[in-house]
Amino acid sequence: MNVKQPATADAIAAQKPLVESTLIEPAKTHQVAQFKHSVPLTTCRVDPTGRYVVAGAQDLDIQVWNLQTSAQRTLKGHTSWVRSFDFSKDGNTLYSACWGGDIKVWNMADASPEPTMTIAAHKGSARWVRLSPDQTKLATCGNDLLVKVWNIADGKLLQTFAGHERHVYAVDFHPDGQQLVSQDLMGFIKIWDLQTGKQKRGIHASLMTGYDKKFAADMGGARDLQFSPDGSELASAGITNVVNSFGGIQDPIIMLFDWNTGKETAQLKPDKAFQGIAWGVRYHPDGFLIGAGAERTGKGELWFHKPGEKEFFHTLKLPRAARGLDLLADGRHLVVPHSDGSVCTYRMTAKAKVFGT
Amino acid sequence: MRRNQGCHQSDHRVARRQFLAGAAGGVVGLSLPGSLAAAEKIKGQHKRVLQVYLQGGVSQLESWDPKPGTEFGGPFRAIPTSVPGMHISELLPYTAQYMHLLSIVRSINLKINDHQQGRLFMEKGRRAGEFPYVGSIASKYLAPPNSELPGYIHISTRGLNDSTAAFLGAQHSQLKFEGVKPPKNLAVPQGLDQTADARRIQLRQQFNQQFRRGRSKSLTESFDASFEQAAKLMGRKSFFEKAPDGKDLERYGKHDFGRNCLLARALLENDATCVKVTHHGYDSHAENFNFHLEQLGEFDKTFAMLLSDLHERGLLESTLVMVYSEFGRTPKINVRYGRDHWGTAWSIALGGCGIQPGAIIGKTNDKGTAVAEREVDAGHLFHTYLQALGIDSTNDHDIAGRSIPIGDPTAQPIKELLA
Repeated sequence: MNVKQPATADAIAAQKPLVESTLIEPAKTHQVAQFKHSVPLTTCRVDPTGRYVVAGAQDLDIQVWNLQTSAQRTLKGHTSWVRSFDFSKDGNTLYSACWGGDIKVWNMADASPEPTMTIAAHKGSARWVRLSPDQTKLATCGNDLLVKVWNIADGKLLQTFAGHERHVYAVDFHPDGQQLVSQDLMGFIKIWDLQTGKQKRGIHASLMTGYDKKFAADMGGARDLQFSPDGSELASAGITNVVNSFGGIQDPIIMLFDWNTGKETAQLKPDKAFQGIAWGVRYHPDGFLIGAGAERTGKGELWFHKPGEKEFFHTLKLPRAARGLDLLADGRHLVVPHSDGSVCTYRMTAKAKVFGT
Repeated sequence: MRRNQGCHQSDHRVARRQFLAGAAGGVVGLSLPGSLAAAEKIKGQHKRVLQVYLQGGVSQLESWDPKPGTEFGGPFRAIPTSVPGMHISELLPYTAQYMHLLSIVRSINLKINDHQQGRLFMEKGRRAGEFPYVGSIASKYLAPPNSELPGYIHISTRGLNDSTAAFLGAQHSQLKFEGVKPPKNLAVPQGLDQTADARRIQLRQQFNQQFRRGRSKSLTESFDASFEQAAKLMGRKSFFEKAPDGKDLERYGKHDFGRNCLLARALLENDATCVKVTHHGYDSHAENFNFHLEQLGEFDKTFAMLLSDLHERGLLESTLVMVYSEFGRTPKINVRYGRDHWGTAWSIALGGCGIQPGAIIGKTNDKGTAVAEREVDAGHLFHTYLQALGIDSTNDHDIAGRSIPIGDPTAQPIKELLA
């Protein structure tokens, strides 16, 4: 066992009386639970304390499943699809961002949560929301080309960062809490200094965008951003090699960047036959990286990568498109929102054995 | 109806005649002086057409017929417009302010899900057969006899396979400009004086006459028409070379579509009869929502500025404005966040000359999956366009003694849409 397990119950209570393996072995990742909504899902996030998973869908609601009991709740209040979430560390407060430009705040301790605050954050979509490491600020970005920082106590705007020339797809705080990173449609990554309120430097991930000459349009941008736990590396998931973006013909890619130098350290791509989009990326506490993607025909894959290697060391094929990814705090489970309306939990250990066998 | 999920290479091929016309005529660029005096001059003279073609099939749900909060409604909301009770997608905030100048037809069922067939039906008003496009008909029946510009000009940045004039003759064919690039070979070559140029033309005509003997006239007709069109443009060369006004570019946008629409405005102000501007990039089988954000984000303000300018300059009442595609997009969202081809229940917007403004014709059901009221197809629309322009679409073309119905005799205009 290489990760300390919290006392939270496992995602699937129904496994008893099976004997669970606790050794993390990515190559043995398998599905252990499925929670179903009637509408295709768009994103998901796991409560840091492991009690529930929330998901956005191709409707106006937020679905919440209790990971222990499978009980489902629905949060209503958004007027457009929800595309990004974040939680407070204690899991009691949920922040959601929607295509309509609003950020909503939910008290998850309530039996029937309603928005406790709504921030009209962006003109056009609010594409991303992230909570600062010190739990006092929110970072958001949107189609108004802006990155904004908000005081979570009262929802007041603290800082606005302008400089992106195309839609801003994702934003996150560096673990040091002093810097923000954002990436736009054209692959431009900007690093903002929260102290000075100015852009500190930039990285152009030009591979992560493409101009479709036939249809005269650009496609690209980060579909997920994640820092390594120590902040030394940035991972960005998206697309590359745009051939016919209107038909979904391009390749998924996860790019890694050395945070100090800004230099690219890896271009991670799945098998060439898998054309589509990388929708999720997470660093596992043990040091390996996990990616998730959707193939253009509707299938999905999970990818596993060891530091320093050029290729994924394991790929798990999925029967349905993966539209995101999150990791439970126990380090053993992944949660993936799918295009068929299901959230599936995958366990990164050997399958459980029946007691006595 | 089976959904068509792909496009064929032939949809994007350049027609030979079109290429010849474009190459011979060159490409007109930049701004024409848009004085009110010019507008006044045109006002009493003839009716015109502005076609804004959203190539690939704009989504009706992301434009003229939003269904927010429904199963297939997508992520975008509806916004009110300048017409009380009329809502359109939030992706068109500028256009929404000018909807009192436009009307929407929300009940089109082409029963076609193919790019080329849909485009031909929308342009010809017939499902099959060699018939002229709306623009070629406008060129024939509306263009002043001594017009200094070709009757049917198409401003685009990419080739589409269009043979537009049918039996009306090559002089009514679409002349295509590749955006606003300066014309190629528009000037008389260096070292060639006027006399030598005239002799060159005479020589070409002599060769043509020899070639024509014993052959069909149509074999040389298209080449003659290309040279005539080129000659007209050469006569206006200095006029075309003026750079666009900075304020106009600011309003319309510095992108290709903005510049193309500025050229369209200038052409309409200066005797052009039908100007078609194509805005590419709506065939969104994947990432429909991100692409419509991008494409309509470019279309919206530019089109609203063009519509506003035509209105303010007194040109709108004599200019039929069409915003259309070859079909709409499926209500059902596919696994790639795309919408596929859908001719079954979709919308266009019309305005200006002969069109009652601020109307909504027909409706789709709650999910947008079928026409619920006042179903029409491109045959009905074709009659409507022409009758709005004062052309009796129930009449016949008289082509060398042959009578050919102008509009499909089995279809009728949408009378309640006519002013």
